[in-house]
Amino acid sequence: MTETTRGNGRTPAAALAAFVLVQGIAAAFFISDAAHDLSHGFGNMESLSELFISLVLVAGIFLASWQLRRMISEIKDKDRALAVARGNFARVIATQFTDWGLTPAERDVGLFALKGLDVAEIAALRGAATGTVRAQLARIYAKAGVSNRAQFAAFFVEELLADGAPDT
Amino acid sequence: MAGPHPENGNGGAIAPPDPWDPLVRFSHWGIAAAVIANGLLTKPGGTLHVWIGWVAIGILAARLVWGLVGPAEARFSAFPPDPRAAISHVLSLFRPGGPREHPSHNPAAAMMVYALWLCLVVVIGTGLVMTDAKSPLQISQERAAVAAGDWSVLVNDDGESEGGGEDHDESGELVKEVHEVAANLMLILALVHVAGVAVESRALRRNLVHPMLLGSGKGR
Repeated sequence: MTETTRGNGRTPAAALAAFVLVQGIAAAFFISDAAHDLSHGFGNMESLSELFISLVLVAGIFLASWQLRRMISEIKDKDRALAVARGNFARVIATQFTDWGLTPAERDVGLFALKGLDVAEIAALRGAATGTVRAQLARIYAKAGVSNRAQFAAFFVEELLADGAPDT
Repeated sequence: MAGPHPENGNGGAIAPPDPWDPLVRFSHWGIAAAVIANGLLTKPGGTLHVWIGWVAIGILAARLVWGLVGPAEARFSAFPPDPRAAISHVLSLFRPGGPREHPSHNPAAAMMVYALWLCLVVVIGTGLVMTDAKSPLQISQERAAVAAGDWSVLVNDDGESEGGGEDHDESGELVKEVHEVAANLMLILALVHVAGVAVESRALRRNLVHPMLLGSGKGR
């Protein structure tokens, strides 16, 4: 999930950055050409239009750079908001676990369960027997006053939806 | 995860951005490729050499504009040249506490950036003098004209530099010398830069190359 959220808006930003660089290169070539023409004689229509195009190219580089900078700061803001939301949710879970009086091992198992890992995966991650994990889960559900994993997860989903759920 | 890292995601404000913004990354590798290509691979004075030089001009120009209008950490104001701070930063690498984190380039790296840009400007400037600031397009046009038997394109140039004579040749030799010395200096500085990144990465226990490539993806 982290990877996909990191990807948001980054590809357009990278594309725009590449565009700015290509613009810079194009401007370098064009302006040198224009400068050569100007040094051979100023005032004819061709040199004037080249001068005009050069100015437009340079202005374009500045404008695209400015746009890119706004895009990057928007991405940063989004990432920050997401991190805050994620941190707050983690805090909500931690507080709830403390309220239920979960042991450190149970907190670990409970978190893995919330992330959707099954018993075998949790056992492998913790280097414990599946029986142990199953017993720990049962104790967690008992302390939380729920009867299965779906209810356990729903407890926190409900927490998230409490304010934001639309009336139906 | 729940508890021990309450500031996860915000604590990064002191460290350089991860990843660096795309324009910084692309211009960094673009210039690096151009320097390696022209310093070690292409035929000096050849058409390809001049083409790559002009591409480097464009990239450098865009990066310098970015230093004025880009995000905070890419702007010149985020890494002012400060030799004294640079020296104390290098010394701190060998002290037990290790170096401090900086929001942009560290002071030593900042000096390296300016030194490399200065070398680039000198190399580009002397290169332009040697080719009469003609873009590769014009050069190949003229060469084609000469090959076709039309020598008039050359007459025009000789007329402009007539006052020079032998003096012109000597200064041309000097310009060439400066071009080569600055280019070699730039290659040496690039090696020092790579070594600096390695030492700093080790001191900070953090891979500093990743943010310049794609970002570390440290968000688990």
